[in-house]
Amino acid sequence: MNNIIETKKLCKTYSTGGVQQHVLRNIDLEIRKGDFTILMGPSGAGKSTLLYALSGMDKPTLGEIRFCDEDITKKNSDQLALFRRKHCGFVFQQTYLVDSMSVMDNVLSAGFLADNDRKSVITKAREVLKSVDLDEELWDKFPTQISGGEAQRAGIARALINKPDMVFADEPTGALNSKTGKDVLDALTRFNKDGQSIIMVTHDIVSARRGNRILYLKDGEIAGELDLGRYVSGDKERHTALRDFLGGMGW
Amino acid sequence: MNKMLLLTKSHFRKNKGTSVGLVSLMLIAAMLLSLSLVVLFDAYPMARKEAERLDSGDGFFRISEGIDGLTDEKIEEIIEDDVSRYYIYRCLNYITQVPFADGTITANAQIYDDRAFSKEMGNSEIVTEDTSITSDYIYLPYQFYTSGGVDVGDQFVLEIQGKKYDLTVRGFLTTPYFGCNNSGSYEFVLDDDTYSGMVSVDGAPECILVIYELKDGVEESRFGIRVNNDIVTVAPYVNFQQMPVESVISNRTFISLIIVISFLVLSGVVLLVVLFMLTSSISNYIRENIKMLGALKAIGYTSSDIRVSVTLLFLMLSCIGAIGGIVLSYALLPFFAQMSIAQMGIPYSISFLPVPTLIVFSSIVLFTAIVVSVVLIRISKIEPIVALRSGIESHSFRKNHVRLDKTSMGLDMSLAMKTMFFNIKQNIITFIVVGIMVFLCTLGLLMYENFSVHPKVDMLTFEYCGGIAAFDHETAEDAREFLEEQEGVSNVRNMIMVYFYYGDEDKLMTYVIDDLSALNNVNVCFEGRLPLYDNEIAVSGKFASAHGIKVGDTIPMSYGDETFDYLITGFIQTTNNGGKEAYMSARAASRITDLSNAPAYYYFDTETETEEEVDRILTKCEDKYGEHMISKMNFYGIIAGSLTTFKSVATTMLVSMCVISVLVILLVMFLLVKALILNKRKDYGIFKAIGFTSGNLVLQTALSFTPSIVISVILSSILSYCYANKFMNLIMGAFGIVKSRFDIPIPGVVMIAIGMILISFLLAIFESRKVKRIEAYTLLVAE
Ligand SMILES: Nc1ncnc2c1ncn2[C@@H]1O[C@H](COP(=O)(O)OP(=O)(O)OP(=O)(O)O)[C@@H](O)[C@H]1O
Ligand SMILES: [Mg+2]
Repeated sequence: MNNIIETKKLCKTYSTGGVQQHVLRNIDLEIRKGDFTILMGPSGAGKSTLLYALSGMDKPTLGEIRFCDEDITKKNSDQLALFRRKHCGFVFQQTYLVDSMSVMDNVLSAGFLADNDRKSVITKAREVLKSVDLDEELWDKFPTQISGGEAQRAGIARALINKPDMVFADEPTGALNSKTGKDVLDALTRFNKDGQSIIMVTHDIVSARRGNRILYLKDGEIAGELDLGRYVSGDKERHTALRDFLGGMGW
Repeated sequence: MNKMLLLTKSHFRKNKGTSVGLVSLMLIAAMLLSLSLVVLFDAYPMARKEAERLDSGDGFFRISEGIDGLTDEKIEEIIEDDVSRYYIYRCLNYITQVPFADGTITANAQIYDDRAFSKEMGNSEIVTEDTSITSDYIYLPYQFYTSGGVDVGDQFVLEIQGKKYDLTVRGFLTTPYFGCNNSGSYEFVLDDDTYSGMVSVDGAPECILVIYELKDGVEESRFGIRVNNDIVTVAPYVNFQQMPVESVISNRTFISLIIVISFLVLSGVVLLVVLFMLTSSISNYIRENIKMLGALKAIGYTSSDIRVSVTLLFLMLSCIGAIGGIVLSYALLPFFAQMSIAQMGIPYSISFLPVPTLIVFSSIVLFTAIVVSVVLIRISKIEPIVALRSGIESHSFRKNHVRLDKTSMGLDMSLAMKTMFFNIKQNIITFIVVGIMVFLCTLGLLMYENFSVHPKVDMLTFEYCGGIAAFDHETAEDAREFLEEQEGVSNVRNMIMVYFYYGDEDKLMTYVIDDLSALNNVNVCFEGRLPLYDNEIAVSGKFASAHGIKVGDTIPMSYGDETFDYLITGFIQTTNNGGKEAYMSARAASRITDLSNAPAYYYFDTETETEEEVDRILTKCEDKYGEHMISKMNFYGIIAGSLTTFKSVATTMLVSMCVISVLVILLVMFLLVKALILNKRKDYGIFKAIGFTSGNLVLQTALSFTPSIVISVILSSILSYCYANKFMNLIMGAFGIVKSRFDIPIPGVVMIAIGMILISFLLAIFESRKVKRIEAYTLLVAE
């Protein structure tokens, strides 16, 4: 089994004030294990909608989503929560750390959800925080006392502590400058190298370059797909191929 | 003004749930306040109004036994100088037991015929009657109807001097002096035939009643003492009893005063809760809407515009709450007013009372206005720029409470503890409110236990026993031996009551006891000790404080011409005789009076503590001594009868306290949990996203309140247990009880504590279900 997620005829329709808006239209999609999948597309195309449907955060209107061989569209919201804590990790555009808890506690609160062994969770938390380059002196600080980039990396640490089957990232660098954004991307890339599957929504070609598979979403459909090789830094051809693909999509 | 209303409307829309919660709290406060004020202003003064309506004058005295030589002219001559008006009549007076509610009561019965309804002063009036009943009938005081369970047409047995009269209840009457069992005397009006039959019996217990109105400046007790002395010179063996109308009124209103005080305390507590919740809701409102408020300021609204609009909202809420509470109080009034009035035995109908209603309304609204405007001062401190950037004002976290890597608690518990520290102010409110509620419930329990389950008889009477058998002096000694020989009878002691005088200033109802160490009621003495030697006396605390007397002082007590200086050994507490009573030994009393011809009142206890057993013994005595046995009393029967009203009041109090506590905690939990979820909705959204279920979050929210609830309940249970009696002293002090020793059953306290914890926790869970509505997804895309 190579596919972590498969969708069949996935549809999402919003109706506001009697007006129906078909945001996702009959999407058939497979997300492969180990991939760093990038989701691109114009604003309002439905990228976030797709991402949160795939992750079981939101429910599709029609269609089927098989995630690790489970049909998650049949689950109620508590079952979905239980499913997420095992299988999914999230990195959001806003950092969405819990302001009233220290960095360490933010990570631990996710860790303890999936694992009852206190010692091993604490060890995992320390490792994962180190692996996103957060120094120990930051661990006891509160989210409001650290920089946006640090906070985002803490968010990644929280997403990764349970070694989820899939990490969902919605514009994780959207609110960061290029330097801090790079640190975040580096962290994600490292994890991907170690075998972590990631789906990331981004608007930014520099971020998109990190992925090995690019999906382009337009008007609620997958308009195009590009397979790149694994990311190697300073790969010029890769950048050109990506730019040409996006150009073709009308980016 | 228009823009103000617009703003007010928008404030309301944003705070519907909170508004409803606050309105409900104000409603409860208004209801309790209104109930207590109506009872205070209307039901409570009924006794006084009724006395005035029936032209009671200032009091009466009753002269019984040995009144043969005493003519009306002689009495007139004696009282003339001091009274402006008076009315003298003769009727029968006999102490007997009559059925009342679940038992019997001892009635000092004034028995008369229909001349009772045409007295020139202190008249009686018929409340209801069935004129089709024409012979062998009786009119009873209205209290027999309101709390005695008797109805018109019922059969009623009146036992006078050992003869039983089977009568039919023809109606009920209202009377200023003889209508309530707290004041001891009842008036029974009989048909002419029965009455004249009774009077014509040899040795009928005739008495003279004098109802009087004093001239200005005449002091009641001095007047009584002088009249008593003057009468004794004419008729030396009379029994003279004086009762000012004020004592009758305060006896009649005892229960309603307890109700009023309890409800006032309760409404004060709820108002305190309203204060907390208003403060916390407004603070929340400001925090939540700081952006909007800043924006309003930025576009030119002044601080006072905003303040006025918010104040307007809360004033509207308080108006709704106050009106609702008043309406509700009138709906509940029949029950509560009747309960306090039933005890008085006065016909009463509820009417709308503008003054108390206005007081309730304006005090609730004013209270809200003051609290709100004080809290809102903070609004003027909001700088538009700061407000617009928002979040800046939000918590600055410094201390990391409950570090997850250090704690050994489970995840839900440790996150709940974090929430608790985040929410510390609200937890303090919970702590205080729950604590007060536990205290109130404990007070309710105390009343229930001591007035209803195990009536604390020693608080209500000077001495409790199984029964009392009284004999004339000829048979007294023989009867004592007989009584002591009876199987199961123990602790026979002789106790008679005599009025002794303190100069010509005051008089003390004195219990003269052959052996003070045989008394069951040792609690009666709250300071010092009871007298032992023949030069000692113990007086009531009320009397002592009125005359500035201390333990160790000597006071002159006199009877007739004899006076002796007694040493005060202690103070006693009493609710009877206007709180003016004393204790001394028979040997001490014999220094000023000759007791050798006095009858003996033997108090005795029985091994089997039942009404039947006491009856058996009393009947035996009666069979043996016949007419020489002058009185009998079955204590167990009396307790059952005379405590009926106390019981229902106590039960109602317990139920009211518990219901109100649960309601208040419900509303407080509702408001606090709502505010907490609002404050934490972002955190909860994040938690849901990373995989916490609604169940986890509900549990965390509820658990976060648990420590304050549990600690508060435990602490307040212990404190209530230790201090409830002290608190009762404050309330009961007015009735002469200085040092109450009410029992507080520990199982009851534990039950209240466990119940309170469970209910609060369940309510917290119930309110916390709202986190289910928080969708992680909407949070993520909304921003
Ligand atoms: N809860 C909702 N109710 C109604 N319409 C919604 C809702 N959420 C999203 N939409 C609409 O669905 C469309 C897709 O939204 P989505 O957030 O998925 O776009 P996106 O591709 O992530 O855009 P962006 O790049 O700006 O983040 C938008 O037109 C949006 O207005
Ligand atoms: Mg988006």
